[in-house]
Amino acid sequence: MRKGIAFRLSILVLSAAGLIFALMSGVGYYLAREMLLKNAEDNARLQAQALVQTIESRLAPIPRVPQSLAYELADVRLAEAGVLRRQRQALADNDEIFGTAVAYEPEAGAHSEDEPAVYTFRTPMGPKVSHLGGSRYRYRNMDWYQLPTELKQTIWTEPYFDEGGGDILMTTCSVPFFHGAGAERRVAGVVTADVSLEWLKRLVASVNVLDTGYAYLITRTGTYVTHPAPGVAFNETIFSRAEEFGDTRLRSIGQDMIRGGTGFVPLTSLHSRKPGFLVYAPLPTTGWSLAVFYPKDELLADVGRQALAAAVLSGGGFLLLALVVAGIARSITRPLRRLAGVAHAVAQGDLDAPLPVLRAKDEVSDLSEAFGHMQHALKEHIRDLTTATASRERMESELRIARDIQMGILPKLFPPFPDRSEIDLYASLEPAREVGGDFYDFFLCGKDCFCFLVGDVSGKGVPAAFYMAVAKTLIKALADSACQQSGGAPDPGDILARANEDLAQDNDSCMFVTIFLATLDMRDGQVRYASAGHNPPVLMRKGEAPLLLPSRQDPVAGAMPGMTFETDTLRLAPGDALLLYTDGVTEAMNPAEQFFGDARLLKLAGELAGPSSGLDAKGVCMGLGAAVHDFANGAEQSDDITMLALRYVGADKNQGS
Amino acid sequence: MQFSGEKDGSFLVLAVGGRMDAMTSKEFEDECSRWLAAGEKRLVIDLSGLEYISSAGLRSILLLAKKLKAQGGDVAFCALSEMVTEIFTVSGFVKMLPVFATRTEALARP
Repeated sequence: MRKGIAFRLSILVLSAAGLIFALMSGVGYYLAREMLLKNAEDNARLQAQALVQTIESRLAPIPRVPQSLAYELADVRLAEAGVLRRQRQALADNDEIFGTAVAYEPEAGAHSEDEPAVYTFRTPMGPKVSHLGGSRYRYRNMDWYQLPTELKQTIWTEPYFDEGGGDILMTTCSVPFFHGAGAERRVAGVVTADVSLEWLKRLVASVNVLDTGYAYLITRTGTYVTHPAPGVAFNETIFSRAEEFGDTRLRSIGQDMIRGGTGFVPLTSLHSRKPGFLVYAPLPTTGWSLAVFYPKDELLADVGRQALAAAVLSGGGFLLLALVVAGIARSITRPLRRLAGVAHAVAQGDLDAPLPVLRAKDEVSDLSEAFGHMQHALKEHIRDLTTATASRERMESELRIARDIQMGILPKLFPPFPDRSEIDLYASLEPAREVGGDFYDFFLCGKDCFCFLVGDVSGKGVPAAFYMAVAKTLIKALADSACQQSGGAPDPGDILARANEDLAQDNDSCMFVTIFLATLDMRDGQVRYASAGHNPPVLMRKGEAPLLLPSRQDPVAGAMPGMTFETDTLRLAPGDALLLYTDGVTEAMNPAEQFFGDARLLKLAGELAGPSSGLDAKGVCMGLGAAVHDFANGAEQSDDITMLALRYVGADKNQGS
Repeated sequence: MQFSGEKDGSFLVLAVGGRMDAMTSKEFEDECSRWLAAGEKRLVIDLSGLEYISSAGLRSILLLAKKLKAQGGDVAFCALSEMVTEIFTVSGFVKMLPVFATRTEALARP
């Protein structure tokens, strides 16, 4: 899959959004947690406090009952009846109190067993009195007696199970009373109130702490009064448990608790094995301590739920974002893809490929519009170009046709007179790219006179071609006429003079033509020639070096009327040859911008047309043409390359004179 | 092409420099037309600065000569370089038009 805009955009946006979400979620969760824990602590403390208050509200009033009786008994010795009465009253007034006792400190010298304690307690049938003491019940050694008398203050005993009362959990509040004052003050006895703690047990056990949280009580010695785990209450102290599980933390908590401390501390519950927090507070009345355990996971459950909700929302939001981003990306890339498709179609040549219709007015629609303009401009441009090309091709084809016509009027049949063996003739014209002005011609004049010529019209292109056709035709006509008038011996100079007159008339364009015109008498090899500004031909005689015919420097034809042209003669021996050419040969250029030149031409002519070369006229022309091309070496041919080679073989014995 | 013209008596001497070929010969024709339009009838063309002339250039020269002849004027050429002399010779222009070796000689003609 190519990684296009949609992909990149999605990846980038979603990564950034994901990062932000994650960050916010993380920070949010952390803050929520901290706040929750703080709240939890406050709540826990409050809850513990409320619990303490509830318990205290029932326990706190209790000491007042024995204390008021103790007050009455201070420095006064009450008769038993009075004591009993008061005891019954106390029971009647206080539902909490199960039983109340008065126990006397023995007088000095009295036997310990003799002093009874009088104990009034509830029964379903009403209050009952019992005398404690005697050998069966040596109460003086008991906590409820010994502790207050030793400490000289109100104490609460450790909880115990009352065998007589049906094994209910009880604790006793003992208040000492005194006789004497100042230094003589001594404990005279103890007033007790027994309190059932079943309600306390139930209360603490029913404390609702989250799901698996719980509460418990410990006494001043650390003994568990209540505990969620069975068998722990009364059997273990907080210290023994701490010892058993190796939990030093718990031990120091226990120490703080029995000291009456308050706290909210992290702890791992030994009972449920879960980490959490323990809040503890003292019960001032009894000096015991209440502890409540909050499991951490349940505490933080809310936070967890919140975090989950946030995560789900984030996830949903993320998904939505992904969809939106993908949608946006698609809305951009779809028209772009379609535009690309149209561009392809246009490149293939379908200029009318329809552009996609875009509803939104944005950068993409701008692009589409611009593309449409380009498409339109392209169509127009191509139309113009096609028209221009068509017209140019038309013109070029017309030029080609003109060229073909032009070439058509040149004689191309070699040998021209197969039954005449006096001459070996070949001519070639290799046109340059454009239509040109070179020409050659040859024809018989009478029986024995052979007329041949080469011409070169000034300039190039269509005008030169026109002029060439006119000049060639004119010269032929004049030559034919001269031939008849002279009886087969026309004068070249004369012909040129007449041609010049005709061409120079009405010559507004001032074009002119160079011509070399010659006649050969085939009986004896006599050549008569005249030149109108043309390149001098090469004469190759047997056994001699080739040379250029001397030039009379007669003017070009068609320039100015009234010019005269001289006729010269020479005689060709059998085997001698003449090579006519135009400046397309001598002025051929190579890439180094050097000319072919006369010298090279002479040298080549000697090699090709010399009597020992064995080449016929055609071979000479071919050879020269090849040499010119070799010289040019790829440089562009700017002028027609024209040549005519004529070798005089000799008089034909068969021809009569 | 470079041109500089100056009057000398009844003649207008036009010094021509550069190359006269199919592309630049028009400049020569335009220059001469300007002088003719100004009324000059007797021209002396100094070709000492002319490096090269093609058949198109020869044509322009021929045009000038004919135009002047039609108006009753004339033109002479002088100070041809070796190459230009050769071209004038081969094409026979030396036989058609007055060509002098130096400007003085050209100006000395009647």
